[in-house]
Amino acid sequence: MKSNKLDHPSASDETLVGAAKRGDMMAFEELVARHRDKIYARAFSMVRNEDEAVDLSQEAWVKGWQRLVQFQGDSSFGTWMTRIVINLCLDQLRRRKRQRTESIEVINEEMGGVERQMPVVTSNPTERLERAELRKRIDQALGQLSHEHRTVLILHEFEDLEYKEIAKRMECSIGTVMSRLFYARRKMAVLLANLKTEEFK
Amino acid sequence: MSTHDSQLKIQAFLDDEMSARDAAEMEGLIANDAEARALLAELRNTNAALAAGEVECRLPETREFFWSKIEREISREMPVAAHVPKMPWLGWLRRRWLPVSSSAAVLTCAAAVLVSHPRHGALESGEMELASDEVGSYVFRDQKQQMTMVWLYDRNAEAALARPTSMVSSGRESDLE
Repeated sequence: MKSNKLDHPSASDETLVGAAKRGDMMAFEELVARHRDKIYARAFSMVRNEDEAVDLSQEAWVKGWQRLVQFQGDSSFGTWMTRIVINLCLDQLRRRKRQRTESIEVINEEMGGVERQMPVVTSNPTERLERAELRKRIDQALGQLSHEHRTVLILHEFEDLEYKEIAKRMECSIGTVMSRLFYARRKMAVLLANLKTEEFK
Repeated sequence: MSTHDSQLKIQAFLDDEMSARDAAEMEGLIANDAEARALLAELRNTNAALAAGEVECRLPETREFFWSKIEREISREMPVAAHVPKMPWLGWLRRRWLPVSSSAAVLTCAAAVLVSHPRHGALESGEMELASDEVGSYVFRDQKQQMTMVWLYDRNAEAALARPTSMVSSGRESDLE
């Protein structure tokens, strides 16, 4: 379990993964330290609850350790860990959905009819905004979407997953993914425009 | 371009999720439809905004504490080697009394260090040794909070892993429970 020669802080992710596969816990700790914020951030963006996000990211790291032998380096270690935490978040959101009663609005959104009635936003609501300010507004707007719409948007826009892959992970049809993504984008356009209007007021 | 299906096709065109043939056809349709062009422009603006990324978010726990929880979970999942005592009554005695006596010993050591160095992080320079292999411990040190916590647990009793057997803390009460 000890690695006397390896200088963990300066070692690459690949080297640390190799050492961790051989049982070097310190190597795994270094990987946790490097990627913990990213993994937590993804969990938080999906579940929007600090405590749940901490628990889910912790669970992801334990699973990461258990499945480390399966990691072949096809993607980066950070991407591989992000996929694990996304799957855990999706399970969590499914559990939540089973427990809650669907509102009429959510059902309408799921049916894909609401977005057709929204007028097109013609101006660019984020023009000339500083990057930090823009990110803040995006976060505010994301917080107002339903879990389903936020998730599909995150997976497509921030994780670069294709429709087919999102459908597989969310256990729904490609048509549903397209509908949810369309609604999420249209709603984001409206929310971002509203945030700009509020600022002027 | 008012049907939902055609709107989704515009989106698929934007996301490059169409065959080359369908994309060429869609390009022609968009060129001749102002409504479709407006919708495509809105979707592009939203994508451009999202390209700015997400707000930076940091895990609200220290590296040491977060790792101590992961390490504990990993240890819990690891198989414990079967151990059959030669004398059953000795096994019972070890199971029941050694963790307690070890805990007491550790508490005594920790208390001694706390008394002798109350302001400099009690367990920072001290060393503790557990008398039994059946008792495990986790130590978490938060320099900022000037606080040290020691978890003791019975390796044979999985239920005991779930909660601290005893806890020693110097400095302020923690929010680690």
